Amino acid sequence: MKKELPVAITLILAILYVLANYFTGVAFLDTAKNLLDRWYLIVAAWAVLVGSINLTQIHGRRISGKREGWIFSVWLLICLYGMMFFGIFVAKNASHPGWTFMYNQLIAPMNATVYSTIVFYIGSAAYRAFRVRSPEASVLLVTALIMMLGRVPLGRMLLGGHPALSQMADWILNVPNSAGMRGIQIGACLGGVATALRIALGIERGHLGGTGE
Amino acid sequence: MSIVTGYSFAFWVEILFLVAVIAMIRRARGGMKIPEIYKVAGLEAMDEAIGRCTEMGKPVHFSPGIGDLQNAQTLAAMSILGYVAKQCARYDTDLIATNRNVIVYPLSEEIVKQSFAEVGKLDNFKPDNVRWISDDQFAYATGVTGIMFREKPAANILVGAFWAESLIFAEVGSIAGAIQISGTANTHQIPFFVAACDYCLIGEELYAASAYLSKEPVLLASLVAQDWGKMVGVVLIVVGTVMASVGSNALGTLLSK
Repeated sequence: MKKELPVAITLILAILYVLANYFTGVAFLDTAKNLLDRWYLIVAAWAVLVGSINLTQIHGRRISGKREGWIFSVWLLICLYGMMFFGIFVAKNASHPGWTFMYNQLIAPMNATVYSTIVFYIGSAAYRAFRVRSPEASVLLVTALIMMLGRVPLGRMLLGGHPALSQMADWILNVPNSAGMRGIQIGACLGGVATALRIALGIERGHLGGTGE
Repeated sequence: MSIVTGYSFAFWVEILFLVAVIAMIRRARGGMKIPEIYKVAGLEAMDEAIGRCTEMGKPVHFSPGIGDLQNAQTLAAMSILGYVAKQCARYDTDLIATNRNVIVYPLSEEIVKQSFAEVGKLDNFKPDNVRWISDDQFAYATGVTGIMFREKPAANILVGAFWAESLIFAEVGSIAGAIQISGTANTHQIPFFVAACDYCLIGEELYAASAYLSKEPVLLASLVAQDWGKMVGVVLIVVGTVMASVGSNALGTLLSK
């Protein structure tokens, strides 16, 4: 019963949701879809509380045990509850200047900083991937060289202003790359639909806990 | 009541696909032979990665990506998490499952807990090892980076929907010396995973993982229907190419109905 009931609910709601996406002019389906979307948001809001409790438990134990780096856990909890306190009791709405200040001056630059580190990771990953160890790696290296030189002014300069490298880069991007990507996308879409069907029909129950062996 | 404009073809294709999946499942339940599924190196390496952690006494790190539960990739990742958790429980290996999405987090915890319970090792389940890091993409990436450097897992399993954080995870995993198995259907992130990880599940292989790992005939049967769908797709592409070459847009019109 512990697994049959969720499977039955999943099947009914999946049918409703799929029909609501395909059919128009059925008030009942539209209402059901809107209701389900709202329920999802409410569950998500409560889940934030569950997540915050998990963070507090983990970092609280780290602080009480004075484990290595515990001071960072203190900082994390100050930031977590400080932001929460400010949002609930001081700002009260998302357009409050203090709130937008914290977002624009703290969160946005920190996000940009972490995002910008990707450039270094690209360098190290490319170094490992482009080492000529196999015919495939050689193809990758040659393609990457053409792509890089075709995308920067140096490539055109090396050929005395001729756009051959840039044209080759465009061709690689628009023809073999697009074809490969679309092939993967078609397979992935079918896989996604098959997974949804398996879950809706209750054949795949891994998401209900365990694999059901 | 009418079908939304532009969705008619998709609706009937989905119905046909559903019929094909059900037909294959009935066939499997009836004991008829299911065609062999080709070996997926990334999934074959799953046990090897967990075994490596057991031998080294180090944990396994698992990330289901940053998608929410409305994303089929996350659901596929949850099925893989169930398998990984069960294997970790069997071999008394720690599993650190990190989450970005607050709805995915309680599900991850329940799956890991249930998996430990199923192999009779509930006492070994550590709630602290299933963690919600942050709802923010790069805060999550930073949190995972910290875990990789501090706790040095010997295996890094990254399956699900990933975006810009994919390369950060894969590279810090590589620096930490972990064997890395990744998988996503987000085509823009596949090159990063292929370049930085030891094994990569490409696109549909991610969705096939639960069937492949469980080896259940009924689940494997649905993969066969999936392959039929691909064949139909290939035929449509070839026919569409030929028709477009002779100046006919009949297939395009049909698809957009």
